[in-house]
Amino acid sequence: MSVGVVAPVQSAQETAEQRARPASRRAVRINGARVVSSVAVVLLFVFIFGPLLWLVLWAFAGAWRYPALLPQQWSLSWWLKVFDYPSLLHSVALSFIFAPIVTALSAVICLPAAYAFSRLRIPGRRALMISLFSVNAFPMIGLYITIATLFYALNLMGTFFGVVLIQLLGTIVFMTWIPTAAFSAVPRSFEDAARDVGASRLRTFFSVTLPLAAPGIFVAMVLAFLVSLDTAQGTFLVGIPNYVTMPVQMYSLVSDYPPEAAAVFAVLLAIPSVILMLLVRKHVMGGALAHGFQV
Amino acid sequence: MKVLRRFGQLLMVAPPLAIIAVFVGLPIVISVIYTLGHVGGLNSAVSAIALHDVSTRGLLTWAAYSQVFAEHDFIASLIASVVVTIVSTAVVLVVSWAIALYAWRARSRLGRVLSALAIVPMFIPVVIASYAMLQFWTYDGFIKTVANGIGMANFPSFGYSLQLVVIAEIWVSVPFGVLMISAGLTGIPPSAFEAARDAGASVARATWGILVPMNLLPTIIVTCFTGISILGSFTVPYLVGPTSPNLLGPEATETFTNFHESQQAEVMAMVLFGLAIIVAVPYVWATYRTNKTTGGQAT
Repeated sequence: MSVGVVAPVQSAQETAEQRARPASRRAVRINGARVVSSVAVVLLFVFIFGPLLWLVLWAFAGAWRYPALLPQQWSLSWWLKVFDYPSLLHSVALSFIFAPIVTALSAVICLPAAYAFSRLRIPGRRALMISLFSVNAFPMIGLYITIATLFYALNLMGTFFGVVLIQLLGTIVFMTWIPTAAFSAVPRSFEDAARDVGASRLRTFFSVTLPLAAPGIFVAMVLAFLVSLDTAQGTFLVGIPNYVTMPVQMYSLVSDYPPEAAAVFAVLLAIPSVILMLLVRKHVMGGALAHGFQV
Repeated sequence: MKVLRRFGQLLMVAPPLAIIAVFVGLPIVISVIYTLGHVGGLNSAVSAIALHDVSTRGLLTWAAYSQVFAEHDFIASLIASVVVTIVSTAVVLVVSWAIALYAWRARSRLGRVLSALAIVPMFIPVVIASYAMLQFWTYDGFIKTVANGIGMANFPSFGYSLQLVVIAEIWVSVPFGVLMISAGLTGIPPSAFEAARDAGASVARATWGILVPMNLLPTIIVTCFTGISILGSFTVPYLVGPTSPNLLGPEATETFTNFHESQQAEVMAMVLFGLAIIVAVPYVWATYRTNKTTGGQAT
């Protein structure tokens, strides 16, 4: 693996350190550092994964009383019971109705703009792109409350379209920034070559530019889908009592149902998010998000 | 022809900008006007169902603001919001830097595992994360169970406390910090750091003196956006926090939906915006400075 590449760097560091310190102290330091970093990894693991594992245990618990580290009885009964509550199933269905609509609408609104930002000479391009970020630059709950005021005036409170709009707002930045970068990454020479052999502008776009930019657009659409699926506070404020999506249902589950039921529902709700996130993991880790901030 | 093409371009970029203008810009403007006592026009619908509205026929009135600031509960929530934001953001910065720095220096499997671990919360919806944190830290959760097991029967339960809000906000915010700071570090040659270490500087000093200035913009971005997102958070404090005083997010939402005091809730939203502007100042300064220096070098 990459060991061969890394080893020379390490040995160079060691000789530098050897010159600076006596050998015995060096050994102690390195062991000390290793102990500290191992403890840090364990603590981080417990901090990050602990709550998630604990939740999964609750989802399979039949009986679990403090202070036992594991449930006294295991059970699948809550998994079956959750499907007996029509309101829970209804909210799952509702979430999966909203998410594709929001994603499609966001694509229709943002993708032409992404192409224009990338390929055409738009005056004030940078300022316009950054202004889209204003959604995320305000404290969300403050923004939602001011939007609710407008929604009352437009009769959008508690309506299907109101919920679509509030979820749409959270997708605009992703759906514009990431595809803009994707379009910009397509070499212009490819488009020129297609044009030279007689392809029309439209044909060039659909046979050259769009297929090459497709992965970036796909990432943006997955993220938009996730935003819609996970928007809890906005949907809560605008949608209740008519539109109770999965995450909004979680609010009441937590207070009104036993922890086993809430845990099962939470695990169910996490599954689509985790799967979709794993799909785009490489792009997010690879800096798609980080670079977006330095357009 | 040229005019027509210009118009076509404008038509392409207009929709997302229009959405932002109508559903972010406009609501903020009418809300500012509403909090200053103007209950007519676009505000008449919300005002019709609101209780305890103050209105004016003059230019403006600060009555709604003085009413809200006279509330003891509001002041307590305001202080809680500011303190929780400062503490959480500070911890997120230190933890993100530590993880990113370790992965950057060690280039080992352990380093990669650490940074991959720190990204995990990004995959989990905030509602679920909050609920999981509550179960884990509450009176019959894992932490209390382990503490009890090693003889600390009086170990505090963090369920429904501001401490747990801080812990959960950190959990939720660490991935963004690690991503940003790691991305910034990849652009820095290790030699810059190692040279300082060879000259006898400690890791902490070499980091503070060399790496932080070289990676200043990502650090400031993490500080500002973590701060703003915690200020504006609702789900975390609503699910894991105490009834009162909690953060302004749940307080403003409750004022709006349960008490129907729309104008007072809007005042709280304005206070949040004001705090966010203070938090955003370093970001604006840093981008301005970066633009100026890179422009000056003309490279």
